[in-house]
Amino acid sequence: MAEDFNMENMLDIFLYESSQLLESLENTVLEKKDEDCFDEPAIDEIFRAMHTIKGSSAIMMYENITKVSHKLEDIFYYIRESHPDNVPHLELVEHVLDVSDFITGELDKIRDGGDPDGDESGIVEELDEFLTQIKSGIEKAGEELPPENKYEEPSQFYIAPAGGGSVKYYKASIYFREDTEMSNIRAYTSVYALKEIVDDMEYMPDDIISNENSADTIIEDGFHMLIKCKHSREEIIDAIGDTSGMERVEVNECSQKEFEMGFHEPDQEPIVIELDDKEKEKKEEKKIKTEPVPGDYVVKGKETGKGKKLAKNQSKSGPKQSYISVNIEKMDSLMDMIGELVIAEAVVLQNPDLKVPGLDLTNFQKAASQLSKITTELQDVIMSMRMMPLTNTFQKMNRIVFDVSRKLGKDIGLDVIGENTEVDKNIIEHISDPLMHLIRNSVDHGIESKEERIAAGKNPRGKITLQAKNEGGKVYVIVKDDGKGLNKHVIYEKAKKNGLVGDRPITDFTDKEIYQFITYPGFSTKEQVTEYSGRGVGMDVVVKNIQAIGGKLEIDSIEGAGSEMTLKIPLTLAIINGIVMLVGNSTFVIETNAIKEFVRFSKEMLVREPGGEEYMMLRGECYPFIRLNQRFHLAPPETAEGGDGEEGIVVVLEHEDEFICVYIDELIGEQEIVVKPIPSYIKKVQGLSGCTQLGDGSIALILDIAGLISGNERR
Amino acid sequence: MKILLAEDDFASRKFMVNYLEKYGECDITVDGEEAVDAFIMALEDGEPYDLVCLDVMMPVIDGYQALKAIRDIEKDHGIAGDDRVKIIMTTALNEERNVKKAFEMGCTVYCGKPIDVEKFQMILKKLELIK
Repeated sequence: MAEDFNMENMLDIFLYESSQLLESLENTVLEKKDEDCFDEPAIDEIFRAMHTIKGSSAIMMYENITKVSHKLEDIFYYIRESHPDNVPHLELVEHVLDVSDFITGELDKIRDGGDPDGDESGIVEELDEFLTQIKSGIEKAGEELPPENKYEEPSQFYIAPAGGGSVKYYKASIYFREDTEMSNIRAYTSVYALKEIVDDMEYMPDDIISNENSADTIIEDGFHMLIKCKHSREEIIDAIGDTSGMERVEVNECSQKEFEMGFHEPDQEPIVIELDDKEKEKKEEKKIKTEPVPGDYVVKGKETGKGKKLAKNQSKSGPKQSYISVNIEKMDSLMDMIGELVIAEAVVLQNPDLKVPGLDLTNFQKAASQLSKITTELQDVIMSMRMMPLTNTFQKMNRIVFDVSRKLGKDIGLDVIGENTEVDKNIIEHISDPLMHLIRNSVDHGIESKEERIAAGKNPRGKITLQAKNEGGKVYVIVKDDGKGLNKHVIYEKAKKNGLVGDRPITDFTDKEIYQFITYPGFSTKEQVTEYSGRGVGMDVVVKNIQAIGGKLEIDSIEGAGSEMTLKIPLTLAIINGIVMLVGNSTFVIETNAIKEFVRFSKEMLVREPGGEEYMMLRGECYPFIRLNQRFHLAPPETAEGGDGEEGIVVVLEHEDEFICVYIDELIGEQEIVVKPIPSYIKKVQGLSGCTQLGDGSIALILDIAGLISGNERR
Repeated sequence: MKILLAEDDFASRKFMVNYLEKYGECDITVDGEEAVDAFIMALEDGEPYDLVCLDVMMPVIDGYQALKAIRDIEKDHGIAGDDRVKIIMTTALNEERNVKKAFEMGCTVYCGKPIDVEKFQMILKKLELIK
């Protein structure tokens, strides 16, 4: 099939390389933006990047990109050759960023399957003006102009396939009336018509031309096709046409997997094997990156209904490479598989069959501990494979600070600390947008204008610190500015107006609680809406994004001295260490890290308020007390009469410096837990964050401590 | 202009012929070997082709082999530089290594299938094959 070959498309490579070049170019430019001029390595780098992009875009025939990059290359050519002194540095920085933005925009268009049709003339004109200015400067200085930077048209071109849009997959079926003659030939007419528009297709039965009996099969079961193309459903139906005898035509979109699976019996087992083989084949191909050799693509004869087969033996082993890029989907599925493996391991090791008295398990235990060791290592490896440094995400912030602060006329520097901190790829995807928001907020609302800063006796240059660190199983990402800070009275008043506080006085709240109000939807204290922030959407989105990965946003501020936003995110998402416990007939799991201590329950420790709330006194401290069986409406176990039994155990849990006591019936043990989301058909229950499968196959619910605490406060 | 087309798939061939006939006399071959034969024939008759369109996946010998053969024959005849025939590879193989290899071996244009007719025409203009 065709997709065996197109894993590293010429177009993809062009897009990838160009964006990489632009990215590193942007970083260089931003790094040097505060200096008086670019140093030689920077000039060289920009020149080379533009040269490469110019060349490759010319081969790809994207003329506007070629023109723009050529112009910028020209400018840097003169700067490199003549070192003129009259280059307005900031202007040049802006020009470079403009060009980079323009090209990035065009690349995005190409990526989305469109044509890069942006108008380059404006930018080229600006660059021309700038270039003339530099040139005259060179001449004034009495120096000779270096020879013209001549543009040589490439002699070779690449035309990308037409309509590079997204490929869709369809399942189509044609059913003929029973009295139709030669339905096989009629079916083939449709196949023929479709061949014109599809990229790849398979059909069943596949011997419609060579086997006359296939006509009967078609009438009985219908004629089925799997289609890969870039056309819409309607166009396919059009192409199939309306030959006489057709009873009905069904065309439905399907997944790539279904397409690749081809036509197989709807039998579970073989499909799985087929898939495995496919994966393997692909992986092997990944490794083989040898160059094609003439003769590789000789067609060895075709089979009907199938793609062309090549003579080349695909499974030659190639030279080793130190890096391979892997589809993230494969990584995710590997991670899932390892999760399943951990469960399967528990199923084996805790198998009830082993509990037969008098069984000698010495050898089994040895083997079991070896197995546990390997699965643990496997988890570590997959975790480390998914880890990526935050460097890229942080570098993007550099650009945002530069852009926004220049537009607002503020002078702001960004300090980055700990950008090498590694976090799960998933987390990176989720924090990039929130971070951008926080940074924009800091630039726009946090840092004051220059005049205000001077009046307040501060350094006229504002400072934003972006820091990441790894501590106690959590990632901390901190955005700190030295601006005017948050005004808690203003926030309180606003919260009151929005009806968030009821009639509780401001003294009822801690500072942090007041600051948290700004994360509610529709909350913005900024009177004026600016281009960058102040619409009151934002902070609540930030919080939602962070909560989606189990994190939390904490806000701290000193009025007049600045504010600090801290994102706390759990390092790993999928496999945790947990304590399994029993409440009534249900099993629950609590993350081991959250557990402070276990206390045997006694009635004397319990304090009951008139309102029915219960507290627990422990060494002179008072903690809120929750009975899980009441909270989740579970039948009380027989031993505890009225749920007030003496047999239970109290677990003291901590979350973000808040403590809570939870009453349970029985502890079972500690084990590794594969966190699975609660299926969507179950309503979201506060206090539960997920579920997992235990060794005996039963389901245990994972307690969400933050949810328990906040749920308790609300009562 | 004189055009040689090598393409084994009927639908593609028909499409290409329809398209190219506007620009000149178009000879059709269905595999790589025939294409090379036709090229030699034309060269010996003193009426060489101006444009060769080669499919990559073809029976007998593939597009790469044909490309190499044609460039070798030209070398043998002392044809060099801009006098060499313009060769357009037309193929659904769009992997970078395929394209690079073809460029290395001296093809003029590498054109992905399905063919972007607009750009194809632009290229023909750029190569000064049509006006």
